[in-house]
Amino acid sequence: MNLKISALEYVQQVQNGNISAEDFISKTLEQINKVDEKLHAFLSINDDAVNQARAIDKKIKSGDKVGSCFGMPISIKDNMCIKGSKTTCGSKMLENFVAPYDATVISKLKQQDAIFIGKVNLDEFAMGLTTEFSAFGPSKNPWNPEYVPGGSSGGSAVSVSAFECLMSLGSDTGGSVRNPASFCSVVGYKPTYGLISRYGLISYANSIEQIGPLTRTVKDTAFMLNMISGLDPNDNTTINVKNGDYLSDIDSGIEGKKIGIIKEMMAEGTDPAVLSATNDAIAKLESLGAICEEISIDMVKYSVAAYYTITATEAGSNLARYDNIRYGYDFPVEGYEFNSYISKARKNFGPEVIRRMIIGGFVPSAGHAGKYFLKAMKVKSKLTKEIDEAFKKFDFLIAPTVPILPFKLGEKINDPVALFLIDINTVTANLTGKPAISIPFSISNGLPIGIQLFADSNNDKSLLQAAYALEQTVKLPEVPI
Amino acid sequence: MVTEEEIERVSKLMKIDVDDHKEYVDKVQSMINYFDILDSAGVESEEVTMHEIPISSLREDEHIPFNDKLIEKLNNYKGTYVRAPKMS
Repeated sequence: MNLKISALEYVQQVQNGNISAEDFISKTLEQINKVDEKLHAFLSINDDAVNQARAIDKKIKSGDKVGSCFGMPISIKDNMCIKGSKTTCGSKMLENFVAPYDATVISKLKQQDAIFIGKVNLDEFAMGLTTEFSAFGPSKNPWNPEYVPGGSSGGSAVSVSAFECLMSLGSDTGGSVRNPASFCSVVGYKPTYGLISRYGLISYANSIEQIGPLTRTVKDTAFMLNMISGLDPNDNTTINVKNGDYLSDIDSGIEGKKIGIIKEMMAEGTDPAVLSATNDAIAKLESLGAICEEISIDMVKYSVAAYYTITATEAGSNLARYDNIRYGYDFPVEGYEFNSYISKARKNFGPEVIRRMIIGGFVPSAGHAGKYFLKAMKVKSKLTKEIDEAFKKFDFLIAPTVPILPFKLGEKINDPVALFLIDINTVTANLTGKPAISIPFSISNGLPIGIQLFADSNNDKSLLQAAYALEQTVKLPEVPI
Repeated sequence: MVTEEEIERVSKLMKIDVDDHKEYVDKVQSMINYFDILDSAGVESEEVTMHEIPISSLREDEHIPFNDKLIEKLNNYKGTYVRAPKMS
């Protein structure tokens, strides 16, 4: 049985009776057993997956109504709640936390007969971009296990790239879906803010984070969006946008569309191989009839500083709940004074979370708020205006997803600012709420390069059409696992 | 300039028990130094824009029964009470 198929090919093959859900799930679990000791994408595996697949096969055989996933294996970043399953957030703090309810995206996928094959690795509380900050050890890049897979949704990207599932859900606060998608050569999508409910996603920075799919193809991303997008009464930031069927007309092409090349995202410091790949992508889009022109978005230069200031502040507030009383790991309350008890419990956070919480306490505090937090909010507003202005002229914007190639594990772990700057091309979409997608485009020295396209808010459907057009121009080698 | 005292003050504020405050000085300082780039963004006159959601757009605040006993999911409880350490 071939695991190297897309989610839509899987659906077709199950519908045609060529494969069964049980066989596919069994084979997928074999693949996980075979490769995951080395790659460490998974934090937990669904022990009941085969039984669930068997039940779906029974429904198919008896002619009952079956959801559009037909029992396909999907991995879930371990910061989304699945009722009755451990949800660790990659943290010792939540090592034994069992979610008492389903996230909205999980409920929606359950209705479509998806099988959650397992929960996948992430940087602790999604704070990081390599998965090296997971309390349970890093994931490895399937293209070269000595290299980082990106993050924070690194486990999601690895599991899709290494054929350990058909699709995955990650979360994207500053590029955490698109960055690992680029580093592992899969498609990664950050939707318009509010398109997908965040209910049941453990909060890091609510004002900008979004759940997003990681898939093998752009069509699979459209398929996933059809299932999980939409208004949710449990998340008041969701929007009621009628994009219709994201899959229909996906092959509309991009002839006559105007694409702005963001100058500041191809500036000094961009790896020559990444720059060359981006120029190739631009040439291919032009050959398909798009009109590409350079544009300057001045605020991009300040976006990373604004992003980290805002997210650290929100994280400081969101992580206040981990006090070992409502959430947290176990140790008895006897013999402790209230404040020292909470401080001791919170010692179980990892170093990156502690750093960001210290920053999150520092930048909005009296005497510093005007210099840092307020200015960051103003940069966010001005960046949004500049991007809105750009979309009056252009249909899409383009840039490399990440300005550098994947790097070796441990190479940048002690340099927080070097790590910050890797986010320079991704945080803009989060700060402005715009949709953006990373499309696998090239391989340099055995390491993947992704290209990023942006669209205006609520233009997710047309963004997928443009991404599909670019994807069709590319033929990449198979991942060497 | 970030000092050990500042790290101690903020970690106390954030309720984090840090053994060696010195350990965090350099890394936090390098992050804060980088944030100083915001000074040159020229955004002093910029208005902070917010996305407002009118109260009429919020869902009804209605009670939805939850069948699980949530308190049993806590580490420390007695009867229907959450057990917490004593306040000094």
